[in-house]
Amino acid sequence: MNVQPPIRKSHDRLEPQVNSRLYLIYLVIGVCMLMLIGGLGYRQLFQREAHESAAERQNYRRILMPGPRGIIYDRDNTVLVGNRPLFSAVVYLNELRAEFREEYYNIVRQKRELGLKPDRFNTNITARKNVVQRYMNRLNQLLERKEEVDSKQIERHFSQSLLLPFPLIKDLPEKEYARLIAQVPLDSPIQILSGIARWYPFGEAAAHTLGFVSDSTEFPEGTVPGDQLLTFRNAGQIGRSGLEKHFNERLQGETGGEIWSVDPSGFQYERVVHETPGKGQNLQVSLDIDIQVTAEKAMGEKIGAVVAIEIETGEVLALVSKPSYDLNTLSPFISYKVDEEIREKGAWLNRATQGLYPPGSIFKLVTAIAALRAGVISAHTEIDCPGYKIVGKRAFHCHRLSGHGPEDLIGAIRDSCNVFFYTCGTELGVWGIANEARRFHLDQPTGIELPGETTRMLVPDPEWKASRFYGEGWFGGDTANMSIGQGFLLLTPIQMATFAASIASGTTFVKPTLLHDNPEIQKRDPLGLAPEKFALIKEGMRLAGERGTARLAGKPGMPVSGKTGTAQVRKDGKPTTLAWFVGFAPVQNPRIAIAVMIEGVPEQETNYGGGSTAAPIAKIVFEEYLGM
Amino acid sequence: MPRNLTHQAKSLLLVVLLLLLWWFTPSFVKRGTEVIFSEFQAPAWTGMSYLKDLRSYWTNWGSSKEDLISAGMNLSRLNAAYVVRNQQVDSMERELRRLEGYFNLPSYPEYQYEVARVIKRDLTAWWQVLVIRKGINYGIEPGQAVIFSGGVVGRVQSVGAYTSTVELISSPHFRAAGHFESDDRPVEFRGGINPGLRAPTGTVSTVPVDLVASRKDPVRLTSSKLGGIFPDGLTIGWVYNLEPSSDGLFQTGKVMLDPRLQSLREIAVLIPIETRGDPGR
Repeated sequence: MNVQPPIRKSHDRLEPQVNSRLYLIYLVIGVCMLMLIGGLGYRQLFQREAHESAAERQNYRRILMPGPRGIIYDRDNTVLVGNRPLFSAVVYLNELRAEFREEYYNIVRQKRELGLKPDRFNTNITARKNVVQRYMNRLNQLLERKEEVDSKQIERHFSQSLLLPFPLIKDLPEKEYARLIAQVPLDSPIQILSGIARWYPFGEAAAHTLGFVSDSTEFPEGTVPGDQLLTFRNAGQIGRSGLEKHFNERLQGETGGEIWSVDPSGFQYERVVHETPGKGQNLQVSLDIDIQVTAEKAMGEKIGAVVAIEIETGEVLALVSKPSYDLNTLSPFISYKVDEEIREKGAWLNRATQGLYPPGSIFKLVTAIAALRAGVISAHTEIDCPGYKIVGKRAFHCHRLSGHGPEDLIGAIRDSCNVFFYTCGTELGVWGIANEARRFHLDQPTGIELPGETTRMLVPDPEWKASRFYGEGWFGGDTANMSIGQGFLLLTPIQMATFAASIASGTTFVKPTLLHDNPEIQKRDPLGLAPEKFALIKEGMRLAGERGTARLAGKPGMPVSGKTGTAQVRKDGKPTTLAWFVGFAPVQNPRIAIAVMIEGVPEQETNYGGGSTAAPIAKIVFEEYLGM
Repeated sequence: MPRNLTHQAKSLLLVVLLLLLWWFTPSFVKRGTEVIFSEFQAPAWTGMSYLKDLRSYWTNWGSSKEDLISAGMNLSRLNAAYVVRNQQVDSMERELRRLEGYFNLPSYPEYQYEVARVIKRDLTAWWQVLVIRKGINYGIEPGQAVIFSGGVVGRVQSVGAYTSTVELISSPHFRAAGHFESDDRPVEFRGGINPGLRAPTGTVSTVPVDLVASRKDPVRLTSSKLGGIFPDGLTIGWVYNLEPSSDGLFQTGKVMLDPRLQSLREIAVLIPIETRGDPGR
């Protein structure tokens, strides 16, 4: 059978000859398209929110800016604490990660070449330090400085506040600021930031009262939207001591901020949100800077405290603690050297509110009032002072060893006769004196608007002694000591100033305040002493100021009422003295009360006395206040 | 089939390999390549600018004798005026030196002015640079100040053998220290994003709050010698309004720059005399 091959007719269509290589390309294109569609779909449908959020994070930057702090004025509107511009050079460690990594591998390679096994942890630290030091060297070259970076600071910053700027040089002078502005490229990791630092026009004056601030990013977020955005917080300031700390919330400004759209390289393109930070509230304090400066000058290099109070209002006119420090050296930050210097001279302590001292003879006024109120003595009581008094088996001496002879209350205050008050105190008993001291609030802080006022003041009694000395009893000698302000008594200079003000106003407590025109109305309890008895105390103080132990506090035409004290203490294991003065002026209608306390210095064998050392300082302050 | 696949994907693999190679090429090689590329381009730009000069020359060649005589006379007048001006400047400089000596004041740093022709402008919203017809061969170095008759032009960004790139003050990447006329406190000037066909602007910040500017009484922002780049007192721009900044301590404002910056044909590079070596011309 002959099989004929199929005849291809002309109208039959030719089957296309497909090149097999095209299938490969179709396959590749198909797979790619599927991957693209799949990927696109996945991203659009499932990762939409994440991408939106990431886009926002990539396209926007939020910068929070704390408001400038309020200004602090004295009672006459003189600026005590202001603000000044602060320029600093910083780097963002977060943006240096690639360089850290590169430096890390370089160090590892070098160590391996030397046959050493690199320690990962320490190598990372070294790498970070090297990179940051490189930028510091760039600044050193531009500014002709020789600054070194601190590895510990870098690590602390790296682990705790990576997104915040790491300061390379703080507080650039104008010339250096201009040089960096001109010569550091905008896209350099080194950024030049402007900020605010506190400025103290009077330097050391009222340093302990005004206080200082330190940089902090702990400020409220405010109302700037965009919590989820990459946020940078400019450093603000937080009060660390004094009024700056006590009134921190009031002084701190309202947080503002900006949101910027940025290009892929992070360059700011357009500001989309702007909220101006608000300045903090100003503060007018009761201090009179002229009186403050005068008191500080009067103290010179002596160690101690001066507190001056306006009797009618309780406003503190001056609050001095020496040694002091220049507040400008603490702004914008406290350097290690400055901290050491202040620590060495013991200047961090505010002696006016934190220093505890035996009050010495000025406490005799408490004993006198207690004795008058209890009826132990009267206007006609006379006690003979032979120069000593035997209490128990021990002789307690008067400061005049030959004795004052017969003394009434007025003479005893004028002459500060110990024997008179030993007698009053021992007859009155410890509880009579202690309760009287507590009535004058001497066992508690005054409540002045300063942080850190000590609460460890001590008005002792038998119960306290028993608990403190494992059941030891209270002796008559303890009462004798306490009656002249010695022994276990510990009080602060500001307590003594309020005590002087309360005697001047015939009340038991004048609450001191550092706010001018404080709307809080003070409730004052009356002294609880018959006028004729109270007149004895005032007359004794007037005579002390006129011709007694406190005579150097006044002068002709400027009579003052006062009481001096010279307490025996041990300082650093060596005996020395504390010189005290409390008083008020004018004698009639007193307006100002002052307490002065000067510490003796054992090494310098100072022979300070209340009348010879403290009273002349008080005189200068009285003169300034009374304009005489 | 696998053999075919390898063969077919060869070109694709080659492209991928080249990309990977470029990716891992050390940055100094990339930089070198960029510089070489630029240096190869530079003669073309320079040649084009010479051709433009020639075209301008032939255009003038076709002018009538009357026009040329008139232009020549104008030029003579201008030259005479400049001679007089030069004499005045010389005399003022001598007086300045005398007064500086009298008051023991330090002299201003002196610069050599290297005038150069602009051969290329690259003005976009994101960068604004000029290419000038002088480079290392004239002692120009990166960072040097560039000025024109209206004030500050910018700063030398990079230098080639025969050309240099100048970053304009209107560029968003430009920053300089300045101060306001009659006030010596330094302020920060930054260029801005300046799309074409609009007068260029910049911003000034860290302006002390006691300075006032208004449309009626604008203040002139000038260069500051504190920055160490520009001599003192060259005009950067004019400020018509200042707004308090967010911190309450400073003000910020928009700086109106000279519109001629976008059409400059000649500029001068300030080369500090003490740093200038052999020009090697």
